[in-house]
Amino acid sequence: MSKRGVRWLACLFFLLFTAAVTWPGMIPFNRIEPTVLGLPFSMAWIALWIILSFVVLLLVDRVEERGGKDGG
Amino acid sequence: MERWQFVTIILLLYLLVTLWIGLRAGRKASKSVTGYVAGDRAFGLLLMYFIFGATMFSAFAFLGGPGWAYSRGAAAFYILCYGVLGMTPWYWVGPRAARVGRAYGYVTQAQLLVGRFPSRVLSALMASLTVLAFIPYITLQMRGAGIVIEAVTEGHIPLWLGAGLAYGIVLVYVLTSGVSAVGWTNTFQGIFMLVIAWTLGLYLPMRLYGGVGAMFQEIAARRPELLTVPGLTASGEAWSWGGYSTAILISAIGVSMWPHLFMKAFAAKDDRTIRRTVVLFPTFQLFLIPVFIIGFAGVLFPESPPDPDFILPFLILRSELPALMVGLFCAGALSASMSTGDALLHAGASVAVEDGVRPFHGLDDGQQRRLMRALVVAMGAVAYFFALYEGVSLVVLLLSSYGIIAQFTPPLLAALYWRRATTAGVMSGLLAGTAVTLFFFFQSHLRPMDLHEGILGLLVHVPVLVVVSLLTRDGNPERAAAFLRAAADPAEAEI
Repeated sequence: MSKRGVRWLACLFFLLFTAAVTWPGMIPFNRIEPTVLGLPFSMAWIALWIILSFVVLLLVDRVEERGGKDGG
Repeated sequence: MERWQFVTIILLLYLLVTLWIGLRAGRKASKSVTGYVAGDRAFGLLLMYFIFGATMFSAFAFLGGPGWAYSRGAAAFYILCYGVLGMTPWYWVGPRAARVGRAYGYVTQAQLLVGRFPSRVLSALMASLTVLAFIPYITLQMRGAGIVIEAVTEGHIPLWLGAGLAYGIVLVYVLTSGVSAVGWTNTFQGIFMLVIAWTLGLYLPMRLYGGVGAMFQEIAARRPELLTVPGLTASGEAWSWGGYSTAILISAIGVSMWPHLFMKAFAAKDDRTIRRTVVLFPTFQLFLIPVFIIGFAGVLFPESPPDPDFILPFLILRSELPALMVGLFCAGALSASMSTGDALLHAGASVAVEDGVRPFHGLDDGQQRRLMRALVVAMGAVAYFFALYEGVSLVVLLLSSYGIIAQFTPPLLAALYWRRATTAGVMSGLLAGTAVTLFFFFQSHLRPMDLHEGILGLLVHVPVLVVVSLLTRDGNPERAAAFLRAAADPAEAEI
């Protein structure tokens, strides 16, 4: 993937993250059941986005670093 | 020996170790302003990770966070959301700011801004807003430290003495070693905080309810309103979606603009370090989960503390933990408070001298460092004075100062990315945005849909910045061009 591509992807992902934890995107996931590892679903939902962010940032970093080395 | 004496000894040991680390840290740093403020631009990944992690999770995380989960339930989840959202843009913005910093020798945010938009008024304005937002923040950290010490020593060490003792030590190492002390003590304190939070977050529900799952089942049965967003307000009514959503937005926009965090871009060794810090940041953020679990553990507890912010020490003292655990917990909470307090004192004094005084009075390197040290003491004294008086809830004050700090975002982004931005545009945007924010802070019943006052400020700020910039021209267009060339990534210039 190109640097430009990965930046768009990251931008899109973090906009989705924002939408998924604020009004109105959060509403369908704003529930107690089912619990995940004992946590209410609302809390686990947000934790899931944090973990996904970590994965996306790792991907971004791989592409950005490779781009930095070979100049493209 | 009595229990509180044992706890006090653990506490003193902890404070001594912190002092030792803080004093040792400064031995290598050069005796220059860059050494004192930006650590000779030599901070590696370990230091940066813990500076960002530990500085962000201040007393607020150990006292305010559980306090919110306890009294306002899922409202606290906004804290979980904004950190990663706010830090991610920093992956690109941080290195860009750092490159300009290296090229022109900047050590503060306002220097960067004034480098692009020459105006001493702008510099002084940034310095005053910084100090204005910092004083309540430092006050919170001190109160936090005092509250914890008073609670666990059963009142034998009162708030004034506890806060004075902890911050006396902070003063000593910040005065001697500058930002290097902040970096190394934060690393030690960060590790300490992580371990204590996870241990207590799993232990307390186990002890009181038989497990995390069992605890949430019981809360779901008896207080279900606490487990779904947006939770409750401080007075116990349902919080609004508008308030909750804009609390996330304003904090995400503002968080990386806190001068004590932004300035660390100038302390990082290289761009790679800044990027890796951002990539690893989500791992630190998850540490809020046990913090909230601790708060939830108090919900069904039969007694309640005098103030929700006391819930953690309150539970600790009533769940018959071994004295060693109590002592370690207390040290963990002190870590949280001190790791933010030291960064704030240091950054506040640096900004006041570099941006508030130096543009108006020429000072040599030695005079600057002496003046910074004097201001560290002065800011500490002012905050200490306020800390001894009853204050508003920790989180409420902090959330209000985010409104001001978030107004730094448009001018800094404009400086780093937008060639057509002009000094007049940036100045009028900043003044308009701050004025609107302050207006709605004091007239909060006028806010539409309960939106955060800082968001309302930004809604005025950004259009003003853009329109005034397009209507005016800066005298020297070459300055902007050179500035943006310095900001560009050399690896990409060849594309």
